[in-house]
Amino acid sequence: MNKAIDDYLVKLKTALAEADRATIQDALADAEEHLTTALEQALEKEPGLAAEAALPAIIETYGAPAEVAAAYKEMENMTPTTLAIPGLRISAPRRNRFFSVIGDVRTYGSLLYMLVSIVTGIFYFTWAAAGLSLSAGLIVLVIGLPFFTAFLLSARGIALLEGRIIEGVLGERMPRRGAFFRKDLGWWGGFKALVADRTTWSAVLYMILQMPLGILYFTIMITLIALSLSLFAMPIIHYVFRFPIAHTNHHDYFLPGWSMPLVAMGGFLLTIVTLHAARGIGRLHARYAKRMLLKRD
Amino acid sequence: MNAIPMEDRKFQKELNAGTAALVLLSVVNRSTEPIYGYQITKLIDAGSGDVPMMKQGALYPVLRSLEKTGLLESTVEPSVTGPPRRYYRITEGGRAALDRWTEIWNENKAFVDSVLKGTYHE
Repeated sequence: MNKAIDDYLVKLKTALAEADRATIQDALADAEEHLTTALEQALEKEPGLAAEAALPAIIETYGAPAEVAAAYKEMENMTPTTLAIPGLRISAPRRNRFFSVIGDVRTYGSLLYMLVSIVTGIFYFTWAAAGLSLSAGLIVLVIGLPFFTAFLLSARGIALLEGRIIEGVLGERMPRRGAFFRKDLGWWGGFKALVADRTTWSAVLYMILQMPLGILYFTIMITLIALSLSLFAMPIIHYVFRFPIAHTNHHDYFLPGWSMPLVAMGGFLLTIVTLHAARGIGRLHARYAKRMLLKRD
Repeated sequence: MNAIPMEDRKFQKELNAGTAALVLLSVVNRSTEPIYGYQITKLIDAGSGDVPMMKQGALYPVLRSLEKTGLLESTVEPSVTGPPRRYYRITEGGRAALDRWTEIWNENKAFVDSVLKGTYHE
């Protein structure tokens, strides 16, 4: 095949790097078919023409790789995805995909979310627990009902805020405005609508569950990060500080010197695994939050 | 390169994005035999005058999506030279969609025209 067409296909593939595998395959097949045919026709029309001279114009009318890639990606977003043909490997090999997590912005968003959710989780839990118990206690008094209403409204507000955080750091599309409340119901009607809406209660439940989840996320992440870092640092600890990995009465235990590169490599791999775990948990949490905080019709 | 203003190009692009499916469906429908991508782009280029409707490369994903939604169907035939070619054919559903879309297009065109001429009343 022509070298310039080959180059074009490579560029197109690079431009489509993030797209679905099936889409990449389609795009490459289309471009190859079109460019080859167009070149053939051009040469037929002008037999003396060199392929190198004809191709720039052909590629110009076909569109720059970035432009064409954009068109395919757009279409991918609009049509329901079909499964890629199994066994066909068009995109980057798996190895690259394993490491590509390092460059994914969502990874770090998830990591951040996991470390912060312990703080927000404790706040949500405290708010929900205090709000529920105070509402229960005050219900016999005059201010009971207004207080309860205010608490439920605050839960809806916090649900919206949490949604904004999730969209910001986890990248999952969440509501940007509060749920619509009818204005014509009056105070009592509005209260009934608020209580009858299951989204209110799932938001309260979300607030309560967010504390154990936040603690779990934080613990998992800190453990994995600390473990990766310590494995990374093991050669320094071993050679520079001569610090044993274990110490029992009068005996110091060291790992053998030859294992140091392996241990450091293990630290590196565990770092990647940590990033995958962060991104994966982030994705799951975003999906769960969507179920809990969004109105279901 | 060319002096078409940015906002004009954006307008053209959005307009094309909306009509590309209709145009492609119609071109494939008019063809008596199964037709492949390059021929389609040639026909469209011939009909679009000086300003090409859209980059040829952007038409292919529309063809793919029309096939995915069942409005077109395709077969791959080996070619004498070069890579195999994908030949497109319209389906029954595609013909029905084309009729409906043509109607929508006509209504839309009439509406826009009437607004442009100022004869539009509520």
